[in-house]
Amino acid sequence: MDFDLSEEQEMLRKAARDFLEKECLATLVRQMEDDEKGYSPDLWRKMAGMGWMGLLSPEKYGGSGMNFVDFAILLEEMGRALVPGPFLSTVLCGLAILSAGTEAQRREFLPKIAKGELIMALALTEASASFDPTKVAVRATPRGDNYVINGTKLFIGDAHVADYLLCVTRTKGGGGKEGITLFLVDGKSSGISYTALDTYASDKQFEVVFNKVAVPKGNMLGQLDGGYEMVQRLLEQGVVAECALILGLAYKVLEMSVEYSKERVQFGQPIGSFQAIQHRAADMSIDCDGSRFVTWQAAWKLSQGLSCALEASLAKGWVSDACRRVCDGGLQIHGGAGLMMEHDLQLYFRRGKAHELSFGDSTHHRQLVAQLGL
Amino acid sequence: MDMRLTPEQEKFREEVHDFIRKEATEELFREVRDREQNGPATRAFVHKLADKRWICPHWPEKYGGMGASHMQRFIITEEMSYTGVPGGGGTGAGMAGPVILKFGSDYLKEEYLPRIARGEIEFVLGYTEPNAGSDMANIDIRAVDKGDYFLLNGQKIFNTGSHPDKYHWLGARTSTEGPKHKGLSLFVVPMNLPGITIREFECQCNMTSHEVFYDDVKLPKRQLVGELNRGFYEIAMALDLERNFSTAGHQRLLEELTACAKETKRNGKALIEDPLVREKLAQLKIEVEVVKLLSYRVACLIDKGTVPNFESSQLKLYHSELGRRLTGFGMQLLGLYGPLKEGSKYAALEGDVEREYRAALLFTIGGGTSEIQRNIIAQRGLGMPRA
Repeated sequence: MDFDLSEEQEMLRKAARDFLEKECLATLVRQMEDDEKGYSPDLWRKMAGMGWMGLLSPEKYGGSGMNFVDFAILLEEMGRALVPGPFLSTVLCGLAILSAGTEAQRREFLPKIAKGELIMALALTEASASFDPTKVAVRATPRGDNYVINGTKLFIGDAHVADYLLCVTRTKGGGGKEGITLFLVDGKSSGISYTALDTYASDKQFEVVFNKVAVPKGNMLGQLDGGYEMVQRLLEQGVVAECALILGLAYKVLEMSVEYSKERVQFGQPIGSFQAIQHRAADMSIDCDGSRFVTWQAAWKLSQGLSCALEASLAKGWVSDACRRVCDGGLQIHGGAGLMMEHDLQLYFRRGKAHELSFGDSTHHRQLVAQLGL
Repeated sequence: MDMRLTPEQEKFREEVHDFIRKEATEELFREVRDREQNGPATRAFVHKLADKRWICPHWPEKYGGMGASHMQRFIITEEMSYTGVPGGGGTGAGMAGPVILKFGSDYLKEEYLPRIARGEIEFVLGYTEPNAGSDMANIDIRAVDKGDYFLLNGQKIFNTGSHPDKYHWLGARTSTEGPKHKGLSLFVVPMNLPGITIREFECQCNMTSHEVFYDDVKLPKRQLVGELNRGFYEIAMALDLERNFSTAGHQRLLEELTACAKETKRNGKALIEDPLVREKLAQLKIEVEVVKLLSYRVACLIDKGTVPNFESSQLKLYHSELGRRLTGFGMQLLGLYGPLKEGSKYAALEGDVEREYRAALLFTIGGGTSEIQRNIIAQRGLGMPRA
């Protein structure tokens, strides 16, 4: 057993932190909350230039062939900087194309993703608000050379800027594991409409209505009716990635809270010298370190090409709750300052809530742990 | 990064596992349950452990160890605590030995280390006093230099396991000048010396503990460990190195509770079909997994030559509080059957939950309370200011 990062991984972390401290300041994060696109094309290009979009892609598709632990380290830094935009969904969809796509699909999509020329959104969730693919109801029906998609996807992050949506549909039956099929849908296809959802975290989530949207059969990803396993795999990766983002966010909140507690003076002393504050911070530190190791355990399994369904749910089951506790603790330590929109803590607090729920909250993952591990 | 044991470590785990399966008798488990720490089956088992050099495996060979890594030692601890057999360690192997090894004289090393590693002698932790609990620097039992010997006077409390056949790992005040923590020293005291009186008292946490009274006890000077007045630092370092708790006991209890929830029916349905029970068991499984990773992290740090400090406190804190939650849930799961003691014809899980619930009470208090651990994490780990 070895919890240490390699020299290359430490370098990756440092490079990411240095870059983001320069390029993704809180002012940009604030601007993007009000921006219609919700991400900065300039930052996006620079991130692509750093090789981040292609981090997990093999070299022959323009990537650098790194592993999921490397990816988790990068995401931790991105979570720390609250990097706005469709990075995670783009990379995850790329991973699905890499594992299930035809050679032609890989050659078409992956190099563009790696260069930052193609943005993707994952269109999985619907009105059920469930990340369980068996609940998918949006239908795709064959017609000639096309499939026609009808129905509504909900809570789809960054859908409005996506060049392509990876849409999870039902092609057979009314529920269950069979009959799930994935399609690569051109975001500008006729019949798709996007309506922005106004959210607490000011992240860009959309209702996406598919009204007789025709998708060429060649845009099917993987096998007809056989998409369930692919979505499960995608969810494992998404869950672990989400945990890694939360990690960075949570450590930053802990760091900000400790710093604040050293500076803020009440009763003639820095509040950080009070045990009421210290004990909260101590619990936050266990939440953070616990989050890191349980996330790394799952990421490491992915890096070895192993399935990590149980480990991913153990991780998100812990990390979602830990994130909430750390943000709550941070808010209490900051007191009134934590409520002010002028202070950065609220950015983390609101974003933390979005991450806590994304890819399944702790209740969802405890149910999975009960199924898989008890 | 590698989040699994090496093949060699897995093989070693198998070896320990097989050893326990072969050597742990029914009689041994009965003695453990009845707290017969000196029972014949326990003695025989500890003797066999000593033959394997598994009591202090990480010590040098010449003192009875096998030069093993801390991870190997941790694997032994895990297997022992999973099955609930005595590891033969205790204060001698866990606290006194490492300090003697690092700071002790040649006399102390040769006199005590091999016998600790063979499981022949036992030490009793002698830090706590009526007015020195969490505030360990306030130790007031006096050791006065009388030229040829130290003269000891004062009182200890919660020195669990005290007995005239054992050795007291004694923290005593040797100076009253300067800051309190700079006037403490460590001693090895045979508890059969004239002037020592031991009084027994019972605790609700499945434990008999002791008060120890020192009345003009004469202690030869060679029994001083390390440097005079440096005891506080030696204690602190030993605590950091030794606060490495195996979570296998928690793992075992969780498995028992899960099996019980599958087998026990209420109103015609297995308990585990109740969503509230499933949710709670799943949450506890998550927490056991996280604390296991925290424990492996500490073992890895020691193997890399780092002295863990706040990391050990994180582990101790979370481990002990999880023990309270886990056993508390066990009581809830079993309802009115929970508090039934072993031996009752209605007792579930052989009374394990009742016994473990009581035992778990100790650990959020003994060895540094949860509150002290949080202070350490905040001040040493996060650099927060002292009041």
